[in-house]
Amino acid sequence: FDPRIGSRVDPYGFERPDDFDYASYEAFFSRYLVVLTRRAIKWSKLLKGKNSIQKSLKDMNRTFPDNIKFRRTADPCLQHTLYNVLVAYGHHNKAVGYCQGMNFIAGYLILITKNEEESFWLLDALIGRILPDYYSPAMMGLKTDQEVLGELVKLKVPAVAELMERHGVMWTLVVSRWFICLFIDILPVETVLRIWDCLFYEGSKIIFRVALTLIKQHQAFILEATNFPDICDKFKQITKGTFVTECHTFMQKIFTEPGTLSMTTIDKLRETCREKLLSQG
Amino acid sequence: MEAIWLYQFRLIVIGDSTVGKSCLIRRFTEGRFAQISDPTVGVDFFSRLVEIEPGKRIKLQIWDTAGQERFRSITRAYYRNSVGGLLLFDITNRRSFQNVHEWLEETKVHVQPYQIVFVLVGHKCDLDTQRQVTRHEAEKLAAAYGMKYIETSARDAINVEKAFTDLTRDIYELVKRGEISIQEGWEGVKSGFVPNVVHSSEEVVKSDRRCLC
Repeated sequence: FDPRIGSRVDPYGFERPDDFDYASYEAFFSRYLVVLTRRAIKWSKLLKGKNSIQKSLKDMNRTFPDNIKFRRTADPCLQHTLYNVLVAYGHHNKAVGYCQGMNFIAGYLILITKNEEESFWLLDALIGRILPDYYSPAMMGLKTDQEVLGELVKLKVPAVAELMERHGVMWTLVVSRWFICLFIDILPVETVLRIWDCLFYEGSKIIFRVALTLIKQHQAFILEATNFPDICDKFKQITKGTFVTECHTFMQKIFTEPGTLSMTTIDKLRETCREKLLSQG
Repeated sequence: MEAIWLYQFRLIVIGDSTVGKSCLIRRFTEGRFAQISDPTVGVDFFSRLVEIEPGKRIKLQIWDTAGQERFRSITRAYYRNSVGGLLLFDITNRRSFQNVHEWLEETKVHVQPYQIVFVLVGHKCDLDTQRQVTRHEAEKLAAAYGMKYIETSARDAINVEKAFTDLTRDIYELVKRGEISIQEGWEGVKSGFVPNVVHSSEEVVKSDRRCLC
């Protein structure tokens, strides 16, 4: 008999009421235990397997070189944890394997959860469910979403879209890192984490809200650019400063500044942009 | 006010992951070296002026690219508008040398109808004790493809200036001879603000750009 089930106090320390339904709880827990066990078994199996993923993992000591917990000399050294999570993910999702950028995302999850297995499942939620196929070999989802952002800017900040067009600046150049790294190393840590909270909760649409807010808020500043390098530089500048550091007000802004942004609009744009990309080969 | 320059050249830096593309560019544009640097995700952009002869300045726009294979679907969009390229391999990593051919094939397909003037760069030459590729075989390979070969180190600042300026000079010569010319809708070469001291004979004659192969 599992002590967690029959005890007067639950595993979290709460005393159970006198009328606690031990029978139903036991029935629930026996089912839930199957799920937890299945996950634990899956995780340990993934860790043991070996495949080509390991060879492509050259980025362990290149992930957050400025973070003391990721230094080779750190104890415990999070490079090992990161390695396990990424190798396991490569086994688990063979179609994606390993893509640069995932190391940063897994790294953040590890820093926050301080737990290898939890980081793995959160990474799986992001890559397998929440984000379109950003990291698969063809990176179709990523390319599509960059085009979608371009279309949204045309609708919502037309002057900036026109500037980009006039100087032939491709969106991939200024925003690919925003999408691939989900704003890691672009925005301050607290801001990134607040964005991720919304990302887990509301889905990939949040990335567009953040990008549009950054662009719209700094519209006048971006429009000062008179040439190609200027534009690139402006896009680096707009991710710095108090506007993005004040994460709480920033998060309020992302829901007001870009205006309405329905999932229907995004789905439609994704479809047309995808078709356009496919026809271009 | 913008510094006066004769031409603007767009260069692209390619090669396998971890061969040191970003470090080489940073050394050239910022004059510094980071022992460990993050992998480049997507494409990054840098620029610098170089003086190829007294009073003759060329503005370089340098494109840094991700080395991981799957990013090619993004980076290949940048080949077309590049006039020059640095193809890097790591002299301590034989595999990165073996992939040089594949990189050239990849660019050839996507640069049509234009042509990129490449220089082959054997990087990390400060790590000579760990060398897996001899200078001789690298020179041979470069010659086979009609490229120059140079060995560089971003850490010890060896030949970094030379790699970029030699390539710039070679492109400049081709432009001067009319073998490369400025074209509408092509960003590889653009003419800049020409100071009075430069004679008109050195200006580019607009003509169809001939293939160099």
